[in-house]
Amino acid sequence: MPPKRKAPAGQATAAKAGRTSAMSTPGPATPRSVESLAVSDGDDDLDDEDVSEEQKQREAMLSKEADEFVSKFTLGGKRLGGNNDLGPRKYDAATPFFRKRDFSHLPLKPDHRNRPLWIDPDSCTIVLERFNPLAEQATDFLITIAEPKSRPTFLHEYALTPHSLYAAVSVGLRPKDIINTLERFLKTALPDIVRRKIEEHTRSFGKVKLVLKHNKYFVESADPEVLQILLKDKVIGPLRVQGSDRLTTSAAPRMGGLVIPGTQNAAGVHQANLGGPGGDAQQQPGAAGDGSKEDALLAALNEDDDDDDREAIHSFEINEDHVETVQKRCLDIGFPILEEYDFRNDDVNPNLEIDLRPNTQIRPYQEKSLSKMFGNGRAKSGIIVLPCGAGKTLVGITAACTIKKGVIVLCTSSMSVVQWRQEFLKWSNINPDDIAVFTAESKNKFSGSTGIIVTTYSMVTNSRERSHDSKKMMDFLRGREWGLMLLDEVHVVPAEMFRRVISSIKSHSKLGLTATLLREDDKISHLNFLIGPKLYEANWMELSQQGHIAKVQCAEVWCPMPTEFYDEYLRANARMKRTLYAMNPRKFQACQYLINYHEARGDKIIVFSDELYSLRQYALKLKKVFIYGGTSQSERMQVLENFQHNPEVNTLFLSKIGDTSLDLPEATCLIQISSHFGSRRQEAQRLGRILRAKRRNDEGFNAFFYSLVSKDTQEMYYSSKRQAFLVDQGYAFKVITQLANIEKTPDLAFATPQECRELLQRTLVDNEKGAEDDLETDDLFGKPSRRGPRKALPAPGAGNGGSGVRRTAGTLSELAGGQDMAYIEQNKAANKALKAAAKKKAAGGGDGQSKFFKQIQREKEKSRARAG
Amino acid sequence: MVKAVRGVLIECEPAIKSILVHIDNTHNHAFIIEDLDETHLFVKEPMLPALKQKLEERLKETYRPEEPLEDSD
Repeated sequence: MPPKRKAPAGQATAAKAGRTSAMSTPGPATPRSVESLAVSDGDDDLDDEDVSEEQKQREAMLSKEADEFVSKFTLGGKRLGGNNDLGPRKYDAATPFFRKRDFSHLPLKPDHRNRPLWIDPDSCTIVLERFNPLAEQATDFLITIAEPKSRPTFLHEYALTPHSLYAAVSVGLRPKDIINTLERFLKTALPDIVRRKIEEHTRSFGKVKLVLKHNKYFVESADPEVLQILLKDKVIGPLRVQGSDRLTTSAAPRMGGLVIPGTQNAAGVHQANLGGPGGDAQQQPGAAGDGSKEDALLAALNEDDDDDDREAIHSFEINEDHVETVQKRCLDIGFPILEEYDFRNDDVNPNLEIDLRPNTQIRPYQEKSLSKMFGNGRAKSGIIVLPCGAGKTLVGITAACTIKKGVIVLCTSSMSVVQWRQEFLKWSNINPDDIAVFTAESKNKFSGSTGIIVTTYSMVTNSRERSHDSKKMMDFLRGREWGLMLLDEVHVVPAEMFRRVISSIKSHSKLGLTATLLREDDKISHLNFLIGPKLYEANWMELSQQGHIAKVQCAEVWCPMPTEFYDEYLRANARMKRTLYAMNPRKFQACQYLINYHEARGDKIIVFSDELYSLRQYALKLKKVFIYGGTSQSERMQVLENFQHNPEVNTLFLSKIGDTSLDLPEATCLIQISSHFGSRRQEAQRLGRILRAKRRNDEGFNAFFYSLVSKDTQEMYYSSKRQAFLVDQGYAFKVITQLANIEKTPDLAFATPQECRELLQRTLVDNEKGAEDDLETDDLFGKPSRRGPRKALPAPGAGNGGSGVRRTAGTLSELAGGQDMAYIEQNKAANKALKAAAKKKAAGGGDGQSKFFKQIQREKEKSRARAG
Repeated sequence: MVKAVRGVLIECEPAIKSILVHIDNTHNHAFIIEDLDETHLFVKEPMLPALKQKLEERLKETYRPEEPLEDSD
């Protein structure tokens, strides 16, 4: 088996130093500590009591060992003359294990035990000891200045990147503060190379701001010299608006009376008639002062804002046509521009009547993320990263309620368009006429002078010829200025598409929302420039401990392949291999067993399969409802509704169209039978489907996430890769090699070798023709003509031209419907049963319907089936 | 005329056996003398090292060791 990525404590070098010293230290206690480490990694990270006890134990152990380590070390440090950071290194028996990442030559501070951070000067990785008393403050600080890499229970890993430093500056930290605070938390002195890096990256960032005020663009800076440099620049100079020769000087903005609605402060401030000092609204939750050190930290964090209040801001105006040129030029000459929107002083764009409903309370982390966005009373553009189900939508809505201007919401599918609109109506008091939807089906405009438009990325970026209505709508969208652009699920959209969106629609501020800011192709970095820096990223484990998202038990179930299948697998091509390991009968049995088990417990189950063929086979064999790209919108709605409310329908099979944005709070268990190679994002997104489980706050409630993997196949490799992201978020995957009593399952599918062979034969034959691909369309109806293997690998033996003509000239049985008919009849079985039931209800009682009408009904259905 | 072939009995998991048979098939049946049952194979002794090597290669395809050494990046 491949080495599994366990939630590791020792991924990071600095921590390893401590641990390895533990291993090499003789004494009875040491093996125990190592053992407890291994155990805690696996199972108990959700159990509070265990953790605290273990923490203490480990803490004591680690500090003792670290002490020994240090005493050994400081001597060496002295001998070697510690003035050089990367000076000569000590060589001992353990050195080869560290390779070039042995930093044991960095001298520790005498009171290092009280400091929570280690640093790797080469890669600028910071490791945080979560069990340290100062960990809370250090976490707050690190989230601001660095990007979280990995956050299992005990040791967190953060990386200092140019972007994260850029983000730190954009929320008002200065390099001096960053370096001082780091120095305070680090166990070793801050290496010079890191200091230089921080200074280098923060020097120019955030010095220049682009502000839209009174609908004119101003370039702003606290430092007049920087502006002089810009004005003398040969590109930017001429673009300045004439007639405003002198630099304008004005007082810097303060957070002042701005209150993010829904926060605790909101109520208080309103009562005090907006009288409170500016600092009030900014107090960060969870950091209420105990201990002078903490106050000092907070002071350091806020110091900059206070300074800002006193400083004057200088600005000059530029022509709005040249904004992008100026932005680009500034980037070239090393002064990247920050975009901010002073929405409270914008009296050109009409205000929107919108406020959160009085009973809406936003959660502390949502407040925190928004306070990053509205840090100085203006709206910054950027990205907020929250786990699925943690209320990204509400964050977006609250931002809209804060800005109170026209809002355009972009989401990924028309399904989520509907959901966004509903959420807006649910959480805010917006007039339903003011919130319009722009999709293929409906093209409304709001009635008033301003409002909210919800649409999809594809509607806005579609470059093909549009219908008259859409064109008119687009002109409408283009022709006005929006206060806020909300970008849902930003990670799915390629950079080029964003450029198109951003260039065609003018908005003052942009807020991106996502759960998984990662792409396998690493195109994420573009977002930093197109939208803005990452403003906030939540800690999944923390949220699940606080009960905001469900606790999840993750498991990977290994299903051996029967010999016949495995033989075939070895011979098959890549495409067929995928089908085969999805159709593994042992996997099927495991799936059946898990469904039975969890249905008996009263769970609602979602089964995910990327492979359309196996999705159908599983669903038909197990007589469950399913949805895939080709399922019509009305059928989808019906199935989903039944899944939510019908106690008879507890299991839903979903293809990859259900990966994102599908809101099913009823689901409590998730089984994955086939997936998209090593996509970490998909794994995380799928997990997200159960994180918002309604029952999450029940005593002892756990949601379950099973990933079924065929043993000895590529799936094992992909699976370990897929889990990497979740492991970094602190989830631990248990491996199940044997499901107890699986053979006792009633009606176990494919129990005999005979049935297995039949399944294999059928699978091979059915897929010979070339498997059909899942359609990710949002059309009302998946048109059969488009069902062809559009992007499928050319299947052997099939005249796979991809054109409709070739298909019609296919096999005779296909023409007669002899092949497909078999599925389609069964295919509809589960879904159709629901439909029939609904119809019965609609007919009022159903049983009272006369034979005559029934017959007509039947005839109608038949003719429809023939036509479809 | 009796012809004797020196062989080795191999016991393995069914999956590994499948791979071995597959290797044998793609190499003109150069390795296996007799396919005994689900978990047993009888293999020509001189070919054993070659077969082992081929199997290693094959397994590497399936399980690329993930990030071989975390330290070396």
